[in-house]
Amino acid sequence: MKLPPVDYEAPETVSEAVELLAEHEDLASVLAGGQSLIPLLALRLARPAVLIDINGIDELSGVSAADGWLAIGAMTREYVAEESAIVADAVPLLAAALPLIGHEAIRSRGTVGGSLAHADPAAELPAVARALDAELVVSGPSGERVVPAAEWFEGYLTTSREPDELLTEVRFPAAGPGTGVSFQEVARRHGDFAMVGLATSVTLSDGVISDARMAFAGASDVPARATAAEELLAGERPLAELFDEAARRAIADIDPPSDLHGSAEYRKKVAAALVRRGLREAVDNARERQ
Amino acid sequence: MTAIAAERYTGASIKRSEDPRILTGAGRYVDDIKLPGMLHAAFVRSPMAHGRVLSVDVSAARELPGVVAVYTGADLEAMTVPGPDALMALMGWQGPTPEFTLLATDKVRLAGDPVAVVIAESRYLAEDGCELVAVEYADLPPVTNASFALDPASPPVFANLGDNIAKPRSRNEFGDVTATFDGADRVYDVHIDVHRHQNVPMEGRGCVASYDTDSGALTVYAATQSVHVTKIAAAMRLGMEQDKVRVLAGDIGGSFGLKIGASREELAVAAASRDLGRPVKWVEDRGENLTVSGQAREESFDVRAAVSSGGDLLGLDVKMIIDTGAYPGMGAMVPSIVEAMFPGPYKMAALGFESTAAITNKATYVAYRGPWASETFVRERVIDLIAKDLGLDPFEIRLRNVAPRTDPPAVMITGRPLAGVTTRESLERIAKLVDFPSFRRRQAEARAQGRYLGIGVATFIEAAPGPREPGGPSGPMGMESMRLRLEEDGIVALFTGQMPHGQSHQTTLAQIAADEFGVPFEQVRVVVGDTDVVPFGLTGGSRSATMTGGVALHGARQLKAKVLDIASHLMEASAQDLEITDGQVFVRGDPASAIPVGDVARRAASGDFGAEVDASLEVIATFDGGEGGWSGGSHCAIVEVDAETGIVTVERYVVAEDCGALINPAVVEGQIRGGVAQGIGAVLLERSAYDEDGNCQSATFMDYLVPTACDVPRIEIEHLETVPLDADVNFRGVGEGGMIVAPPTLVNAIEDALSPFGVRIYEQHLPPSRILELIAATGPGR
Amino acid sequence: MTEVDITLTVNGATRTGSPEPRKTLADFLRDDLGLTGTHLGCEHGVCGACTVIVDGRAVRSCLMLAVQAAGSEVTTIEGLALDGRLGTLQQAMWDSHSFQCGFCTPGMVMQAAAFLTDHPDADEQQIREALSGNICRCTGYQSIIDGVLLAAERTRGR
Repeated sequence: MKLPPVDYEAPETVSEAVELLAEHEDLASVLAGGQSLIPLLALRLARPAVLIDINGIDELSGVSAADGWLAIGAMTREYVAEESAIVADAVPLLAAALPLIGHEAIRSRGTVGGSLAHADPAAELPAVARALDAELVVSGPSGERVVPAAEWFEGYLTTSREPDELLTEVRFPAAGPGTGVSFQEVARRHGDFAMVGLATSVTLSDGVISDARMAFAGASDVPARATAAEELLAGERPLAELFDEAARRAIADIDPPSDLHGSAEYRKKVAAALVRRGLREAVDNARERQ
Repeated sequence: MTAIAAERYTGASIKRSEDPRILTGAGRYVDDIKLPGMLHAAFVRSPMAHGRVLSVDVSAARELPGVVAVYTGADLEAMTVPGPDALMALMGWQGPTPEFTLLATDKVRLAGDPVAVVIAESRYLAEDGCELVAVEYADLPPVTNASFALDPASPPVFANLGDNIAKPRSRNEFGDVTATFDGADRVYDVHIDVHRHQNVPMEGRGCVASYDTDSGALTVYAATQSVHVTKIAAAMRLGMEQDKVRVLAGDIGGSFGLKIGASREELAVAAASRDLGRPVKWVEDRGENLTVSGQAREESFDVRAAVSSGGDLLGLDVKMIIDTGAYPGMGAMVPSIVEAMFPGPYKMAALGFESTAAITNKATYVAYRGPWASETFVRERVIDLIAKDLGLDPFEIRLRNVAPRTDPPAVMITGRPLAGVTTRESLERIAKLVDFPSFRRRQAEARAQGRYLGIGVATFIEAAPGPREPGGPSGPMGMESMRLRLEEDGIVALFTGQMPHGQSHQTTLAQIAADEFGVPFEQVRVVVGDTDVVPFGLTGGSRSATMTGGVALHGARQLKAKVLDIASHLMEASAQDLEITDGQVFVRGDPASAIPVGDVARRAASGDFGAEVDASLEVIATFDGGEGGWSGGSHCAIVEVDAETGIVTVERYVVAEDCGALINPAVVEGQIRGGVAQGIGAVLLERSAYDEDGNCQSATFMDYLVPTACDVPRIEIEHLETVPLDADVNFRGVGEGGMIVAPPTLVNAIEDALSPFGVRIYEQHLPPSRILELIAATGPGR
Repeated sequence: MTEVDITLTVNGATRTGSPEPRKTLADFLRDDLGLTGTHLGCEHGVCGACTVIVDGRAVRSCLMLAVQAAGSEVTTIEGLALDGRLGTLQQAMWDSHSFQCGFCTPGMVMQAAAFLTDHPDADEQQIREALSGNICRCTGYQSIIDGVLLAAERTRGR
């Protein structure tokens, strides 16, 4: 299971990386953490002509919070984000999701940007980005572009990043007062990809849900926002019957895959359970944060 | 219980002598071997399950820089001697014998079937070369399940057989089956399936074959459970004299039954080495291991049970079909072992057993830790199903049916005496260790809150090595031999054909020999893994504790007698007055007379004693197992099933086991826990899956899931007082038991958890999606 | 695909090599540097047998290219006890009968070592989760967990 022949470039700046991407386009793969890309190469499922290793671009790492947004450089290691007090404070949903990504050794190398650029619909970070309407910043030959999460995820392992663009940063809106979060996941084993996962954020004002956001992992070929359920919840008091109905609406809109680990039917049932559990936990957390 | 001379080490959890190298990365596994001029092999493999090979074009591959040679199936036929599978031949298989070439020539029979081998300067380059080999195939309809295989309309996977039957249907009856069923108050009729899963050792198969053109000798560095069986297989296939082949094995990263004999790939690599006159290494990667190394346990059973209204299990009538995959392995031999073991420790008046084995376009059925284990699964499931129907509790029905321990012992209806079986005691011990009434209360409270807890019990026996049979040695594979020698430096060397791959023999055998002979543990060296110096042997079948422990004990005793005889000349005392303790020989009561055993050896080697004295401090000991015996035990699991997600958590797992006298309790417990972990894997996680075209869908560790540290709870183990049968050797094997009885224990517990839904379970693999299907199938409103 | 010259520190010593970019760190350690203690169990990043420590973090060396380790400090199982004596963790695992076939051992030990460095007071559940990415097929894990707990206890006792 050895990697196939491949050329290798190690740019030191974003503009060098963009130049290389413009030169090679679809024949190049960007090597960030490598935790998703290298297995694909080892299995000879991916055959890029050139690897553009961006691990040497120092300007791509960093976590900062300002003006109600958390900015995370694309090369920020998942473990760094996981240990960051800034992340925990500003975007608790992200902090809840990060420890669920694989295992410690994966998070030692895996990057926040890499996970979002790879866009595995069963992964945790795409669901968080979609739930919170994160913004993804790409750099290309004609400059920078900001892509809202709703427009970023196009299909299975496919994003709207052009072949000559590099994802440089992702921005998450900071959680306001009265916001509680939950990341629920059903996986075969601890650390495995979710069969179904759910990122939930609920904001309570005077005991009423003023904002509800939910996005599924593993329920589609992209992270799936449960818009119909969110609309039901807005303005309502949190009650078990409401959560049951939200669950019903959420699963009516999804068409999950069937695979070795679970059928579509199974994933729908689990998705419903996660909505109920996710909302309960998020509301409990919201109450604590008030 | 065991008349061993001293018990300083035996019975204690002595630290392993294997560990210093294991813990520091100084172990030497096959892939660690680097020889001058060594090349690497990779195999071109079929992308389809069943097809004709129309053409193989290796020209582009041969041109790739770094590729040294490419051999097709036809090339290898010219370089080797056709013949049956060596292991099948050794085990005396008489049934249908498929004819096939070492690598595929005219047809491929499973996805991954090797068609050509590329030999290159590195594994990277060899894999590059494989991509340049162009093979043209014509699809054939795949035979992907046993029922199609048994249909005469299915295309024969092997032309010379004409059908897909690896073992023709046969039926045996023990006792009066018809009368037993006619006289039963109730007859149950169930169908039970066990799913395909597999060994998955952390190290795959592989070898380094090194042919010396000058001497005409082949050395194979192998990962194997028997260096001698590998040697026989290699010599046969290469048409070489046995004494021109040497097989060496160092550390081996697990096997669980997989690595026996020599695989087709390893034989191809040996032939390549001979042709090139250079060492060639092949180590399978995980993809190869999961798809083609071999799989196990795909068996289905139609079971009729004759039962009295009070819950006596009067008899069973069983029809078994085993899916043995494509190339022959030991699958066709499994039904006869299953049949022999089917009654278990229970009294039963009759057993009818019919079986057949089917050839399919899937990986070969290989031995996997307790290959006959389905008999325990099916029997313990059926007993629980009967208990539920009759309103009996799982202990009650088992205790009612366990054969009493009598003298002479009760005999299984299939012929084996149940000497020394402690099933009753193990069940009673479980009832003491687990407070069932308290659990039932907690279960009821949990159910009221929508949580589903369950408890399950199962019991088993295994022939480890099995009771003494009249006129023969105990257990399969017969006698065990060992060469023991006192070296001049005072080391007691044991040369054994055992090939440990996790069993800790280098420690356990040294414990026994040290105690029996009288030297410190550190003064015993256990030598394994070299066909030039060790006698024939094989590690497997849970037999080494008895057979090898026994031959070590008796051999050490014989060696000691020889040494004392020499010493008696040296020390001018009678041998009966001499003792050996702590490596010193001394006259009893006169510690000042002590001389190190090494001195005795040096004096003997110097030839001082003249022709009448046998001064060779070496013995070849053999042991037939003595009275042999059974191992067994009862397990209990408490589980929680999340009825919304199907996730099962094992909350508690308790073992009451009897494996005879313990050589090293920590080693015993490690074997049990590892086996139970594989049982948890089988039920909750592991399945070797194929689609309807015969493509393996569980080809990576993302799809073939093995248990992790979060999936296996603490396993509580109690050792029972065993019933000694032999004057000296009451160690019994323990390697396979955990894996045999854990699956029914867990399935019984899961069914108990789901009893509010009325679920009944007739299968072994219960991933989360299946749990929800079972709940849903019982109807709405629950 | 041309080779890349790299220099890195492995087990405290400066080492150099010229691997192809596609060569994994695992293969570089094993084949080029002769450090065969690091094992290959799956080569797709799931089993953890290849775990080494790079710049203070446990990583799967089959998921790093050798060229990516240029300039880094790498510790392999061979480097855990450089003066010939077993480290605390190794000794505790020996005392606890942690292992059987030994193939998962180097990766398991390196992952446990990294975890204990950062979490010296971890409880059993935390240790299980930390090691849940290292597969062992022989032991059922209990003896491994016991070894790690014993090592932590002994380290605290100092």
